[in-house]
Amino acid sequence: MVAVSQGFKTDLLGSIPSLRAFAVSLTQNADKADDLVQETLVKAWDKHESFQPGTNLKAWLFTILRNEFYSQMRKRGREVQDSDGIMTARLAVHPAQHGQLDLKDFRGALEQLPEDQREAIILIGASGFSYEEAAEICGCAVGTIKSRVSRARARLQEILKISGEDEFGPDAISAQVTGSNAA
Amino acid sequence: MTKNITAGAADRRRAASSDLLGPNSEIGRKLKQYYDELVSDHVPDRFAQLLSQLEQAEPAQKKD
Repeated sequence: MVAVSQGFKTDLLGSIPSLRAFAVSLTQNADKADDLVQETLVKAWDKHESFQPGTNLKAWLFTILRNEFYSQMRKRGREVQDSDGIMTARLAVHPAQHGQLDLKDFRGALEQLPEDQREAIILIGASGFSYEEAAEICGCAVGTIKSRVSRARARLQEILKISGEDEFGPDAISAQVTGSNAA
Repeated sequence: MTKNITAGAADRRRAASSDLLGPNSEIGRKLKQYYDELVSDHVPDRFAQLLSQLEQAEPAQKKD
């Protein structure tokens, strides 16, 4: 049994804010999230020898946290899974006013996504992981992550009634650019 | 004027390439705002205490 190094402990401490953010994103509940982070830290401590120094500690910890989350969900009979019924009804989202999207509305919309889509869009769009890293964390193929992110994004746009924010920009400007290119 | 249009086109190209959740996307911006708020939340003391407890519970540490 190799003792846990000070560096490892310091790095663990440093990752707590990210772990909590990811845990809240998964559980949508602050108390459950902190319990999950606690479990994650204990597990990480116990199996610190399986971490390879020089590799991505954050990804390693996120993997542990995620596995813990799903194993707890399985034990509880997946009570959280029914995101399409109850939650949708409770969290009616108002269309954005003045084109400004409220953070509260966004949170509500995020909560309505199935877990697999929510975690994918969080890992890619917020936690700063690459598609490859996210695939590793979730134990699935890169293509699966891509499709989950894309479905999550489409669903969020639909819930929040965002339109015309596509990568192609407003038609008028596209036409203008096309025109200037042609000239 | 011409410059603005060029910059706009470049932005759109960049967004179209892969970064569908980048700064040009409202979903992307909100996602980061949501997450950054969570990350900057104050960390309760219980976590530092937990790590200290784990450290103390370790079998006698060997130095090499």
